[in-house]
Amino acid sequence: MITGFDRLMAAANGEKSDRIPVFCNLLDQGAKELGLSLKEYYSKGEYVAEGQLKMREKYGYDNLWSLFYVGKEAELLGCKNIIYANDGPPTIGHMVFRKPEDIHNMVIPDDISNHPEFQETLKCLQILKKESGDKYPICAYITASMAMPAMLMGMEKWMDMLLSGPFDLRDKLLAMTSDFFKKQLVAYRKAGADIIIYSNPFGSPYFVSAKLFNELSMPWMEKDLQGVDRFGLVYYCGGARMNQVLNQVIEKLGFATFYLSPFDDIAQGKQLIAGRALCAGVINDIKLIDWTYDEIKAEVKRMLDAGMKGGKFFFGTLVMPLYIPEKNIRYMLEAVYEYGSYA
Amino acid sequence: MINEVRKAYNQAIFDTDKILAMRIVHDALDRGLSPEDIVFKVVVPSIEYMSTSFGQDFGASLAQHFMTAQIAALVTDEMLSKFTSPPEIVGKIVIGTSQGDFHGLGKKIVIGCLKAQMIESVDLGLNVSPEKFVDEAIEHNAQIIGISSMMLHTARGENGCLKVRQILKERNLADKIKIIVGGAPYRYNHDLYKLVQADAWAENGIDAGLVLKKLLEEIKQ
Repeated sequence: MITGFDRLMAAANGEKSDRIPVFCNLLDQGAKELGLSLKEYYSKGEYVAEGQLKMREKYGYDNLWSLFYVGKEAELLGCKNIIYANDGPPTIGHMVFRKPEDIHNMVIPDDISNHPEFQETLKCLQILKKESGDKYPICAYITASMAMPAMLMGMEKWMDMLLSGPFDLRDKLLAMTSDFFKKQLVAYRKAGADIIIYSNPFGSPYFVSAKLFNELSMPWMEKDLQGVDRFGLVYYCGGARMNQVLNQVIEKLGFATFYLSPFDDIAQGKQLIAGRALCAGVINDIKLIDWTYDEIKAEVKRMLDAGMKGGKFFFGTLVMPLYIPEKNIRYMLEAVYEYGSYA
Repeated sequence: MINEVRKAYNQAIFDTDKILAMRIVHDALDRGLSPEDIVFKVVVPSIEYMSTSFGQDFGASLAQHFMTAQIAALVTDEMLSKFTSPPEIVGKIVIGTSQGDFHGLGKKIVIGCLKAQMIESVDLGLNVSPEKFVDEAIEHNAQIIGISSMMLHTARGENGCLKVRQILKERNLADKIKIIVGGAPYRYNHDLYKLVQADAWAENGIDAGLVLKKLLEEIKQ
């Protein structure tokens, strides 16, 4: 039996398996599978692991997620309130920094693995590893140093500090969030995560100018990744475009996997990568909600026609909102399995 | 002189250098440029200039967009107090993020850009209920309700724009008060604004001014 790992390794090595690997990011849907509210579902690592395993089994894609919701990282740094909705992902309801001076009081936990707020994630990872770890790669999501402050003070205040200072405080905070990234990475890898999504919207030309990218984003990404093994590390800009920076990121940061934006031209991305890295073409899953069967098939075919040539390609989804009808998830996956087949 | 000031100001904005942009404005004032010219011939054109390259390759980015709006608001606030006569206000909008949405960056950018274009904004803040949007629009005599949503479920859910539309209909206000929406989900699906029954959407804060002016014209007719 060919596993998700087999497919991924074949693609990474530029070889062919039975079909291209398929990464489907179903998170909140796990609660529905288990008949739980989102708040109940995310309260226990056992639930999240069970939801992930059931959904992968049901749909047949190739990855598992240890991510609960993005705000979980802020909880490790003192966020006390997560707001739950019935129809969408949990959001941060408490900013750790109310005023800039609060930055001085932040302490980055030394040992994430033993941090109380990490224990449910750890349980989830342990179950996933035990049940399916040798067959399907387990993904973890870690926010880059430059993006993490937005979760601690809000994007508006962070953008203001990033661009207008005070720069000594900004740099102090970035040094701490860079340290936090590294410590999380150690904990996730120790717990068995195979794929680490390095999430940095500020690594996208949609978010920052070329000048800021070169003067700020790049140096801080270099610091985040100093001494870090790049194996299994994925460059992801939170759904924002990245084609324009692919070459720099490969040459300076050594990433070997890219998770493009739905707004990136897949063929152009492949051309820019030029066989130096694995590349995911990512579907616009907001449109997936309302597309018809024919539209879904046509879009998947278009993406795969653009991406499969030359290999080193896989299919990915973005945030997969709960609003996507189950039948559309199936249509999308059936189309990928059909058009992505090497048989 | 105006072209020279505009060019220098645009460059400062492009470099996200707030201090330099403000210095250019103050120098221009000292050299005799009127506050009106600074707003209408320097700041507003710079907003339009950013709009043309926003989102294109390494054109204007979100960071530059943020800075454009922030500086536009600062300069306009300062210059308005120096105008020889009060400017004509083109229209009024009440704006906030939809219920359950705590992402205020887009709203902030829109407000900054609108200020320079003489559209008055009443900031309702974050996590605004549908009832509050309508009540505040009536209270402030606003012609437009602006709803910003960063997340799909807050854009598309029952307590977002759809509910605001329902309340406007119930109160027979649909012809008098228009709804404009914006935020990430609308960039991913340009038809989403129709699904949530808004009158229009704007891709960014800069375009919001143009779209709002069109809506205001529709209301007048």
